[in-house]
Amino acid sequence: MIRLENVTVAYGSRVILEEIDLEIPTGKTMVILGESGSGKTTILKCVLGTLHPVKGRVLANGQDISTLNESDLLRFRQRMGMVFQEGALFDSLTVGENVAFWLWEHTSLSDEEVETRVRTLLRFVGLENSIDFKPSDLSGGMRRRVAIARAMAAEDPAFMLYDEPTTGLDPFTSKSICDLMRRVQREFTTTNIVVTHDLTDAYRVGDLFTFIKDAKIIATGSRQDIEHSHDPFIKTFLSLDS
Amino acid sequence: MIDPLQFTRGILGTVQNFTLMVFRAFRYMMVHFRVRESLLEMDRLGVGSIPIVFLANLFAGLDMALQFSVVMAPYGATNLLGKVVATSVIRDMGPVLASLVMSARVTAGITSELGMMATTQQIEALLVMGVDPVDRLVAPKILAGMVMLPVLSVVGDFLGVLAGLAVAMFGAHVPAPLYWSGVRTALTLPNLVNGIAKPFVFGFILVSIGCYYGLRTTGGAQGVGRSTTKAVVYAAIWILVANFLISKLLIDVWGWKL
Repeated sequence: MIRLENVTVAYGSRVILEEIDLEIPTGKTMVILGESGSGKTTILKCVLGTLHPVKGRVLANGQDISTLNESDLLRFRQRMGMVFQEGALFDSLTVGENVAFWLWEHTSLSDEEVETRVRTLLRFVGLENSIDFKPSDLSGGMRRRVAIARAMAAEDPAFMLYDEPTTGLDPFTSKSICDLMRRVQREFTTTNIVVTHDLTDAYRVGDLFTFIKDAKIIATGSRQDIEHSHDPFIKTFLSLDS
Repeated sequence: MIDPLQFTRGILGTVQNFTLMVFRAFRYMMVHFRVRESLLEMDRLGVGSIPIVFLANLFAGLDMALQFSVVMAPYGATNLLGKVVATSVIRDMGPVLASLVMSARVTAGITSELGMMATTQQIEALLVMGVDPVDRLVAPKILAGMVMLPVLSVVGDFLGVLAGLAVAMFGAHVPAPLYWSGVRTALTLPNLVNGIAKPFVFGFILVSIGCYYGLRTTGGAQGVGRSTTKAVVYAAIWILVANFLISKLLIDVWGWKL
């Protein structure tokens, strides 16, 4: 479970998140929706521990992330997978090496064992044949798939975070990425946070939904709760998308 | 208008962050030495720079021997050409020239590489995967710089001295044995320590500055360009500052011995 308690993030006098309370139950996917610059990605950074709140606590399975020191944070993140907006693949490494990276760094597996695991993961995302490609040879959708495989390289990823995973993709590729995210959640029972501004994709992957506006959460709940909201911003957001 | 308080705070912040990065890099070198990455960096930084360091030292040696022979000829002192050229090359010109040329290639390369990684979230991806970028990227590079620059400098020094021989023989009509005996007298402990200590420190400077500005790059392609320019300029300046300080220190230790 991931829980944010009364979290406030600010750069000097500029408040990015204000007194946020959010709970993501184990094995569920929380989609965070809102306008660009509303603080959606900042929530991911707080959960990752790359940004510390000026007030409040961020708990992951009961552990307060905001109090961990640098080396404990590095250890904690080993159970966390993150898929960045453009994939953020290491461009000097091949697809296979990108996926193998976590295993090289944190396990003492033999080369054969690493290759077997890498092939399994790439097969899972449908890219086993691209193992020797460089990220620059891949399409946007393929890069996101590799990023998902890389994020799952940890033996037992407890949390998966997705930052705008379908931005810039065509509708078919977006759907296939969403389907893949659903499969990851089903098969690995991960707790997920997805940041997006695309409502169609949000409905495909989400169990719970949160709307952020002006650094504050204005609504949280199931799809029904959101659709029956009387908040003018949410009504406009939903009507614009439909 | 520059706010002096903000300016001072900026400088202190840079010094603090740079020191912390370097401290962490050295700690990683001690506790978590990455052999494979360090050897790869040595190949990229050192072996890849051989042609330009050779060229720079070759022409510097030629020019220096030419200028010295013009000055020394009227006094009939061209028999000292070997000693003078070798001393200048080993103590100062070799290390400084190799480092300045390397700063254009290596510092710029490191800053733009790390800068691109920073702006495309690859550095963040490393952190998320539980890997400290200072451990994976910075420590092997700094080590490679500190090992490879002295090696390149020594080879460059030899080439500079050899270039000086060509000018001495064909320009100043100094016999080769006389030139070489002068060179041999220049191979003293103070000169050799000078010639090794300087590139060792310069290697650290040009790589660590490149890493620091690379990791702190923001603002896309324009930001990468800005960071690269800053890193190359600062590396060149600090190499010259360090050169003076090391010269002064070693002269204080050994006195005015050559």
